[in-house]
Amino acid sequence: MFSLIESFRSAISSIRAHGFRSFLTTLGIIIGVASTIAVVSVVQGLSHSINKQFEGFGSNSISIRSYTPRSERLKGKLARITAEDVEMIRKRVEGIEYITPQLGSQVGGTSGIKYKGNQAFSQVAGSTYTYQSVQNIDMKYGRFLSYSDNQSRRKVVVIGEKLREDLELPADPVGEFINFAGEWLKIIGLADSKGSFFGFNQDNFAILPYNTMQSLNGNLQEPDIFVQLNLKDPKQFEDIKAHIKRILRRQHRLTGEEQDDFKIETTEQLTSGISNIIDTMTIVLGGIVSISLLVGGIGIMNIMLVSVTERTREIGICKAIGAERHHILLQFLIEAVVLSLLGGVIGIALGYGLGALAAASIPGFPPANVPLWAVGIAFGFSAFVGVLFGILPAAKAANLDPIDALRYE
Amino acid sequence: MKMKMTEHQNKPMELITLQHVCKYYTMGDQTVKALDHIDLSISANEYIAFIGTSGSGKSTMMNILGCLDKPSDGTYLLNGTDVSSLTANELARIRNREIGFIFQSFNLLPRATALHNVMLPLVYKGIKFSERKRLAIKVMEKVNLSDRMDHIPSQLSGGQRQRVAIARALITNPSILLADEPTGNLDTQTTKDIMALFDQLHNEGQTIIVVTHEKDIANHCQRVVTLSDGKVVKDIMNKRETSSV
Repeated sequence: MFSLIESFRSAISSIRAHGFRSFLTTLGIIIGVASTIAVVSVVQGLSHSINKQFEGFGSNSISIRSYTPRSERLKGKLARITAEDVEMIRKRVEGIEYITPQLGSQVGGTSGIKYKGNQAFSQVAGSTYTYQSVQNIDMKYGRFLSYSDNQSRRKVVVIGEKLREDLELPADPVGEFINFAGEWLKIIGLADSKGSFFGFNQDNFAILPYNTMQSLNGNLQEPDIFVQLNLKDPKQFEDIKAHIKRILRRQHRLTGEEQDDFKIETTEQLTSGISNIIDTMTIVLGGIVSISLLVGGIGIMNIMLVSVTERTREIGICKAIGAERHHILLQFLIEAVVLSLLGGVIGIALGYGLGALAAASIPGFPPANVPLWAVGIAFGFSAFVGVLFGILPAAKAANLDPIDALRYE
Repeated sequence: MKMKMTEHQNKPMELITLQHVCKYYTMGDQTVKALDHIDLSISANEYIAFIGTSGSGKSTMMNILGCLDKPSDGTYLLNGTDVSSLTANELARIRNREIGFIFQSFNLLPRATALHNVMLPLVYKGIKFSERKRLAIKVMEKVNLSDRMDHIPSQLSGGQRQRVAIARALITNPSILLADEPTGNLDTQTTKDIMALFDQLHNEGQTIIVVTHEKDIANHCQRVVTLSDGKVVKDIMNKRETSSV
């Protein structure tokens, strides 16, 4: 036990005695660990951010969207989820807590939104009050759409921060009127900024009541609706999915062999798909950079072998005055592990810095996130590298014959 | 081996007994007899010198006596224990507890302070730090180096370095102080001082074995054993010269 403490002391003094050399030796480990941590932190930051985006949807949420198979698209057909379909689902399917249709705009695409001579283009959609909780929208000023806004087709709108800026609306735009597709819409609320995601600004939107949007669209075209359902009980998912599928197939008059022209998905499926990709990415990148750890380990072994040769005489002295095999073995092993861990610690700090820097320099990229397990693995791995590559030089030192070692010049 | 030990215990207690000790080295197709059937005993508190020209076998003798090497043949009893058949780790333990080494080139750890160098044997003995330090300070005082404890070897003179080495050798309270050309790297005055220290230690009851090729140093000891071609050719008791080296 006392020899263990003494071995540490001796290891530190030896590392300090060859400061520059020790630094160069650990450089391999530093680079290895730093790149591992940097890569993992960026990828995990991404994953963390994606998960957060989908968190609002909850696991009891189902989305339905139209889907045109490739063969059909070539024939010029386009699948749609119609208002009638939505109504049918609302009436027939039990266990739905609320249904949130989202309707894109088919008018006003070219003229955009106008306010006092300013013009801006934005994503305009019609939806209901439930959209707020589905999309996790917090209000900065005013209120979100209400149930009655939709029922009485009020000409009101909730806008995002980016659209407010583009139109040069006052900081609190509630009460102002904007013009969309020839209609004057009263702003009733400004949503809190959500920032950007993958370089895509999330604050450039205008949401009006679903029914208002429908009447704006008129009968120009059959609408294609994106629907989100929230279930009362997530366990009913399979039953409800099957029920919706039956209804939509009947509505769309699909016969036995024909493919579904719609997709029913849980957001969980979507997130788990993404996190699978991210996990694979983490493993592959981690694997590549861990090769540099291996190279770093070989560097440590190399310099430890040199160190053993250099200190042959010292080893002889220690053996002469009573050091047993394990004393010498431990001393050199601890030195290798301390070197390696030192590299690990510097590498973790450096890697975190690099990850944060990389994430910050890519616009719209989520902030880097270093999970504790990555730090643990980096630390454990560098200790392991130290032991693995330190054992051979340490054994070489421990096996020296004291007479030969003492005579060594 | 057990029988030998019992037999041995009936005799007056000898510290070291060598019986037919041989050490052979094979060099190419030639066998060199570095030690050739040595029979010798050394009792406690003897002050003995091994002298001989280079190649006489005195280095081998020192390695065997110091338990750094094992004889090819014969028996070496140290304090009644047959050390000729021990393993490397067991020999290390014997060196740690029974033998204090003093080398010509001092052999101190270059990066450790004098105090740490002196404490080192106790680390291998498993003594805790505070006790190590207490004992080391005590023994440093004995060799008159209390004011140089925090210096590293390169900051010390040759004589001071050798004193540190002597302190290190003494700290475990060994049965034997084994000195290999202890004054070989020192000037005349320092040689005198070191030999005076040896005399003092001997007077305090320490057994001292000196291996040297210098007649002056050998003559300082009570008993002088001359080696030649691996054999003891002379073993005489000296009339003690106390005046000078």
